[in-house]
Amino acid sequence: MRTLGIVALLLAAPPEFAQQGPAGRGGPAPGQSPASQRPPATTVPQSYSASQIQAGESRFVSECGFCHGRDAQGGESGPDLTRSSLVAEDVRGDKIGPVILSGRPDKGMPALALPAADVAAMVAFIHDEKSKAESAAGGRRSVDLSDLETGNVEAGKRYFSGDGGCIKCHMLSGSFATSFATVGARFQGLALLQRMLNPSRGPRAGPSLPAVTITLASGQKVTGKLAYRDEFTITLIDSDGWTRSWPAAEVKIESEDPLQAHFEQLGRYTDEEIHDVFVFLQTLR
Amino acid sequence: MLATSTKFGLAVFLGLVCCAATGAQSVDPSMLLNPPADSWPTHHGDYSGQRHSKLSQITPANVHQITLAWAFQTNQTQDIKASPILVNGVIFITTPDNLWAIDARNARQLWKYTYPKNTGFHIGHRGVAVYRDSVIMTTPDAHLLALDARDGSVKWNTVMADSKRGYWSSNAPLLIRNHVIAGISGDFDNLPGVLKSFDPDTGKVQWTFNSTPPAGTPGSISGGATGGQMWMTGTYDPSLNLLYVGTGNPTPVLNGAARPGDNRWTCSIVALNPDTGKLAWGFQPSPHDTHDWDAVEVPILVDAVFEGAQRKLLLQASRNGYFFVLDRTDGKSLLTAPFAAVNWSTGTDREGRPIPNPDKEPHRDGRLVAPYEGGGTNYRSPSFDPASGLLVVSAVDGFGLYFFKQEHGAYGWAGADYDVWAKSFLRAIDYKTGKVRWSHEIGEGATAGVLTTDAGLAFTGDAAGSALALRTSDGTTLWHSKIGRMANSPISYQLDGRQYILMAAGSSLYAWTLPLGPETSAAKP
Repeated sequence: MRTLGIVALLLAAPPEFAQQGPAGRGGPAPGQSPASQRPPATTVPQSYSASQIQAGESRFVSECGFCHGRDAQGGESGPDLTRSSLVAEDVRGDKIGPVILSGRPDKGMPALALPAADVAAMVAFIHDEKSKAESAAGGRRSVDLSDLETGNVEAGKRYFSGDGGCIKCHMLSGSFATSFATVGARFQGLALLQRMLNPSRGPRAGPSLPAVTITLASGQKVTGKLAYRDEFTITLIDSDGWTRSWPAAEVKIESEDPLQAHFEQLGRYTDEEIHDVFVFLQTLR
Repeated sequence: MLATSTKFGLAVFLGLVCCAATGAQSVDPSMLLNPPADSWPTHHGDYSGQRHSKLSQITPANVHQITLAWAFQTNQTQDIKASPILVNGVIFITTPDNLWAIDARNARQLWKYTYPKNTGFHIGHRGVAVYRDSVIMTTPDAHLLALDARDGSVKWNTVMADSKRGYWSSNAPLLIRNHVIAGISGDFDNLPGVLKSFDPDTGKVQWTFNSTPPAGTPGSISGGATGGQMWMTGTYDPSLNLLYVGTGNPTPVLNGAARPGDNRWTCSIVALNPDTGKLAWGFQPSPHDTHDWDAVEVPILVDAVFEGAQRKLLLQASRNGYFFVLDRTDGKSLLTAPFAAVNWSTGTDREGRPIPNPDKEPHRDGRLVAPYEGGGTNYRSPSFDPASGLLVVSAVDGFGLYFFKQEHGAYGWAGADYDVWAKSFLRAIDYKTGKVRWSHEIGEGATAGVLTTDAGLAFTGDAAGSALALRTSDGTTLWHSKIGRMANSPISYQLDGRQYILMAAGSSLYAWTLPLGPETSAAKP
């Protein structure tokens, strides 16, 4: 049935294209998870008037509060802004302002066409909430490294090499092993756990679009990086860097999502196995 | 029951005669019992919640020809998430604080109302109710307003709940005779669940139903839980005189230890007498929820054969990933079956409720749980197709990590959770068996509801921003148009002999119809 074919094809498209660009451009530094450590310190201390903070609170709560929380510490779906490195590096709205005005449509954040005074007031409120969060102990939504270390290293190693089948791709020695062998040094805490379950989520070392080869109706083959895929269109970035699209129904697509085994594993893992593998990965450094 | 197509033709004819003679009529509440083809007078189209249109001019054979009749642009950044309402040739569409009245013939704005700035959450707005010459809307700061449908002037403005305590509203009210029933949101705080009925002429409160009692009420059946907010529009069975509403998650949200037991009536379907607000029965899809899985999804009313007998059924594809069939006379379970990835239950109890696995409650070291927080489905309206017996629902297979430790406390969210992975589908569930007949992948992310029609079409949108028309029987794509991500649920109506499909993408509303030709002449409606 055609719909089943669609399912199989779409599985080839890694979900990472929904992610915002490479980490480090305002996002958390590679290897760090905002939730598992102290909030990054504000780089340039700023002060705002009480009236501006108060005006910002009312705008922030109504426009942003559902997702980011009324206190900017995270809500129904949006991140904790008091632990955001973009907020830490912001000086009077130079980084926060553009995000408010442009949104992040690919992540579900709408653009807000607000007057400059409203944006400035929201920035004041966010900085004020961040100072409060820095002086408060713990965190409402915190996950500490020690919380996660409940597994058994030896059991994790056995699962990794045995039932889990991780070793099929992640050889612990040989050429590919060079980067994986230090994964425990490069990622810690919740970031390591998230990356272990879904390598395309959480902080990333850099963009990595999978290679794909398609065959056109003429028989010509085109190889490139898979940039986009939906039910109707496939888009590659070719070797010259140009973006090229075709109707998906008119080309033959050969690609395999290298992360597919990770997604299938989500339905097999027990929580015990997850924590065993997690502490085993911590030893790879 | 909706009218047959012959009766529709007659209704349209009579409508033309009446309007030419006397002008548009005020909307009598009895119209909602049998909505004419040239209207969509209530959130779900009618009281059943089926979101199914009896219209059949647009068919699987000609849907590829549909063309844009018009587009209406709000010129604002907020997405339209509301169901449009159509009466008297006027379309009412909302975003938080904003209501537009539009001429359905040409998308001309007749008037616009803007509510004063306020601090309630502006996360979305699901639309209005109409009553006689009034259009009734909720506001982000939990007020209820009645405006004159002809010019947008305010008739009355009443407070539903105190927004300073954390209540807000996005709800599309439901009109039942002389009751306008409106729901409220508020699970960022430990607040009791509130549903209220108001007099549509005056805005006076008629009754209040609390799904949970105020925090600290001793000996309550909720086990100390608050929450259970009723933020989605319910359905109504006139023959039983019962209103069906889904209730939201308990609070504190992820901390289950603070509220032992089943936490009734959170994550429940409740049947209420619309005249008194008294509970007739309740059924709990998620006893002792610890994952934010509101059971507010549309309780769909279907009269059909089940296991050999004609029954009054209630169907719900619930956020917790399970599909439920109940007998709506008494709330007894007839069928429970998963329709999306689930790993949180150890089985089904004698009442037909999934039994929560305590090991999948949020925990200090994190637990991998399916569905993720957004659920196996959510507010996106499903649609029931009577001919095939299929419930077409926007579904997600998703996994999330759930954390709770004592340091997270017992107020509001009280825990942490992180989405791990998700993929979205349109799925067709056979109501008789609970089996998924077909599954059509729509990408990562799901925001659109579904409309089915008597011609065997299902209209919806995918995550990549394409509007879709699928064949209801097998899920095959027959038409698509990349208009942007659809964030509402489509509607259909017939005006001047032409069937229209109305859908929103981004901040615009799009009306699709067949090109003018033999099929669309007024003589052959």
